[in-house]
Amino acid sequence: MLPGTVGLMQATEALKLILGKGRSLIGRLILFDALKMNFKNLKLEKDPNCELCGIKPTITELIDYEAFCNVPMPGAGQNDDFDEEEYSIEPAELAEVLNSGRDVVLVDVREQSEWDICYIEKAQLMPLSEFEEHIPSLNPDDEIYLYCYKGMRSMKALRQLEDEGFTKLRNLTGGIDRWAEEIDSDMPRY
Amino acid sequence: MALTNEEINRYTRHLTLPEIGMEGQLKFKESKILLIGAGGLGSPLGMYLGAAGIGKLGIVDFDVVDNSNLQRQIAHSVADIGRPKVESIKETILAGNPNVEVEIYNVRLTRDNILALFEQYDVIVDGSDNFETRYLVNDAAYFTKKPLVYGSIFRFEGQITVFHPNHEGPCYRCLYSNPPPANLVPS
Repeated sequence: MLPGTVGLMQATEALKLILGKGRSLIGRLILFDALKMNFKNLKLEKDPNCELCGIKPTITELIDYEAFCNVPMPGAGQNDDFDEEEYSIEPAELAEVLNSGRDVVLVDVREQSEWDICYIEKAQLMPLSEFEEHIPSLNPDDEIYLYCYKGMRSMKALRQLEDEGFTKLRNLTGGIDRWAEEIDSDMPRY
Repeated sequence: MALTNEEINRYTRHLTLPEIGMEGQLKFKESKILLIGAGGLGSPLGMYLGAAGIGKLGIVDFDVVDNSNLQRQIAHSVADIGRPKVESIKETILAGNPNVEVEIYNVRLTRDNILALFEQYDVIVDGSDNFETRYLVNDAAYFTKKPLVYGSIFRFEGQITVFHPNHEGPCYRCLYSNPPPANLVPS
C-alpha cells in the first residue's frame, strides 16, 4: 500500500512543478506514518555548510558513490583478522551433520516474523535483536550451527559467541535462502 | 502544439478545472519527466503521470520482474515475470494512454551516463531504493539544475519532498550529509 501512497504524492508534486501552480513541497518534508495514518509536515532549511549546495561546496562534480556509501561503522570489525571462512559451512555439509543424528544445536537468529514463514527442522529461534539474552541458555561444549536469511546476521551472532569463549561454531553460508534453494525445495522462499 | 479531439475528450476533467485548463494540459503535453525506478514508487508514478497526459516519460531501471514484486509493483503482471521492468511498465502506460511517449532505459545509472540523461528532462522523480542512487541522483539533479521529487519508504513510513536547491530550499545532502554505515542499511 505505502509505495502507492508515496508514489502518488510524488506524481502530484511533479505535475504541480510542470503547472507552476499551488504550493510545492520545496522546503518541506512530509512524513507519513501508514500505521497511525498520520502526516507530519516539517520545515526544511538549506544547510549553509552543505558540501554540495552550501556556501563553500567541496563536491563540485560527481563522485564515486559506491565508495561513498560503503563506509562501514567504525569498529564494526571489517578490518580485523577474524577469519569468517573458517567458521562457514555449506548447506550440503550442514544437511549431512543434521542427518547424522549427532547431538548438535541449530540456532536460527532471524526474527519471529521470518520464522513464521519457514525454518529448518530442529532449529531453535534466538533472534539477533535479543541474542544476548539467549546466550546463557547455550552450552560452550555443544557444537553450535547458526543461520539467518542470507548468513550476515548469524555471522554477527557467531562472533558474539566467539567473544564469550565458544569455539565449536559454524555459520550456514547463504543462510536459509540457499538452504531452500539447494536442500529443501519444498521450503517457501521470501 | 495543440490537443487532438481525442485528447480534449480524454482530459475533460482537467480542462474544466480553471487551475489546469487548456493552458495547463498543454504544459503537461510539452513536458518531459524522468522516473528513476520502475518498482513500488515507479509503478503508480508511471501509470498516473502517463494517464494525466505528460508528453514524454523516461523510465530508468535495470531490474527484471519477480513474483515477489507483484504485491506492490502494480504496473507489472504475472505474465511479466522475468521481463525487464521498463518494458513491462511501458506496455502498461501505453495501454492506458497511447498519446504518451515512453522512453525506457534498461541500464544502471552511473556517474558516466546520468548527466546526459537528466539534461533531456524537465523534472526528475526519484523512486529508487538505495543510498548510492539517491546521492547520485541528488548531485546530478543539482549539477543539471533540475527539480527533484523525492520519495522513500521504510516499513510503514514514507518521506516525500521536492529538492530544487538551484532555485530555493535544501538538497538531499542538507538533510543527510552522509549515508548510514553500510552494515546498518537494511536489505
